[in-house]
Amino acid sequence: MRTDLFIMALVAVLLSIVLGQLGFFDAARLTKGLQNMGILTWEMLPPDASVLPVAGEALWETVQMSFAGTMLGFLVSLPLSVLGTRHLFSAPVSNLSRLIAAGIRTVPVLLWAILFVILVGLGPLAGTLGVAAYTVGYLAKIYAELFEGTDPEIVEAVRGTGASRLHLVRFVVLPEGANAILTQLLFMLEYNIRASSILGFVGAGGVGFVMQVYLQTLEYRRLATVLLLILVVVLIMDGLSAWMRRRFLLTPQS
Amino acid sequence: MDSTDLALRAEGICFAYRGEEWVLKDISLSVPRGKATMIMGPSGSGKTTLMKVLAGILCPQRGRLEALSQEVGKRTRRSLYSLIGYIPQQLGLVRNLTSLENVLMGALGRCGHGKVMLGLFPRHEVEQAQAALDLMGIGDKSSEKVFRLSGGQRQRVAIARTLLQRPRVVLADEFVSDLDLALAAEILRLMRQVAEREQMTFVANMHEPQLVREFADQVLILDHGQIVRRFPTDGSQERSPSEVLQ
Repeated sequence: MRTDLFIMALVAVLLSIVLGQLGFFDAARLTKGLQNMGILTWEMLPPDASVLPVAGEALWETVQMSFAGTMLGFLVSLPLSVLGTRHLFSAPVSNLSRLIAAGIRTVPVLLWAILFVILVGLGPLAGTLGVAAYTVGYLAKIYAELFEGTDPEIVEAVRGTGASRLHLVRFVVLPEGANAILTQLLFMLEYNIRASSILGFVGAGGVGFVMQVYLQTLEYRRLATVLLLILVVVLIMDGLSAWMRRRFLLTPQS
Repeated sequence: MDSTDLALRAEGICFAYRGEEWVLKDISLSVPRGKATMIMGPSGSGKTTLMKVLAGILCPQRGRLEALSQEVGKRTRRSLYSLIGYIPQQLGLVRNLTSLENVLMGALGRCGHGKVMLGLFPRHEVEQAQAALDLMGIGDKSSEKVFRLSGGQRQRVAIARTLLQRPRVVLADEFVSDLDLALAAEILRLMRQVAEREQMTFVANMHEPQLVREFADQVLILDHGQIVRRFPTDGSQERSPSEVLQ
């Protein structure tokens, strides 16, 4: 108990020091920031609805990039994560697979977008590939850990029927992990829609480019319209994933 | 007894999990073909480990194991898988698949990787899987996902899966321990009928002396990783399994 209190106090002290170094105790600066936030909010109102067609088209491109990128990344991450499952494949194979996933995960999505802009030029193709690469890194790790947690008794029972490794993946590992596979995929899609909205900043297509233009030309009322549109898309996605979870996931025994 | 009359024969089997003490110590046993052998013993006596060794899932560090007159080794283990059915304690069913799909797992050893990987099993295998479910009295539950079934129904799905595998030996690890006595007896009666009809050898871990007395042809008592008693229950021994356990 005393040790727990000591650890909590230590964390609190460390947090205070870090916050101080980051400027969180600079009252003048924070007050100025609050004033600026008020001005910015005022300048955003009312949102300018005249940009709806342009913003809507750009946002649709972002949704397309996110959907295609997420699905492509998902398709690559599945075999990679199966190869990274230690109780199905030997240590050299699973370690190599995990190393590849870790390498991909090291690069943030914005940097992937820049790299693909260099490789395939400006536009949504670069953005889609960037989203796909980031998705591979993330999902391959999550899925490999998920597959490793498959109940060994089920694996033993089905292996005992003479099933091969491929059979085990198809009929045990994937169905047993179906819930988490779907949940993580939906989470990734939601995340990618938010993340892809800034890829246009580096020329990788989507609504980010429009946002960047409105920010640079100080057209905050137009920016507000774009942000509201993104909010609507995110809310629709939340509703859609909640419906999919209800429709497809395991439910407790009735 | 001639070795061809034996379904399983173990000599001097020793097994330990990595870095731990021996769980099985010098186990020797013979399981006659077509008979029911029950293994009893207190919790932690090594019953499940012995069952996994006999099923070829765990490889013993010492000793010799023969299944259906073939020595069980790295080379033969895979070919023996289809001849030895194994029902684990928690049954090992895939919860997110239907009863029929779970039963079809029993046919995987002879189905290859073609259409089966798309979930399309040969028609005769599907018919046999459905027939196995009918035999177990749950034919109407074939399209029900396993997680929606009751304990007794799941038990029947696991047995049907083992039947479709067409094994010569069935190893069952306390597979009726979660059921009440009446239901457990019903499941075992069903299992015995099938075993007699298909000429299968049945080996099971069991806690309940009453069930052992009714269904076993041979009883082995395991304690601290060793077989401490063995006897038939056909009247040639006076003491019942429950007396020996006490």
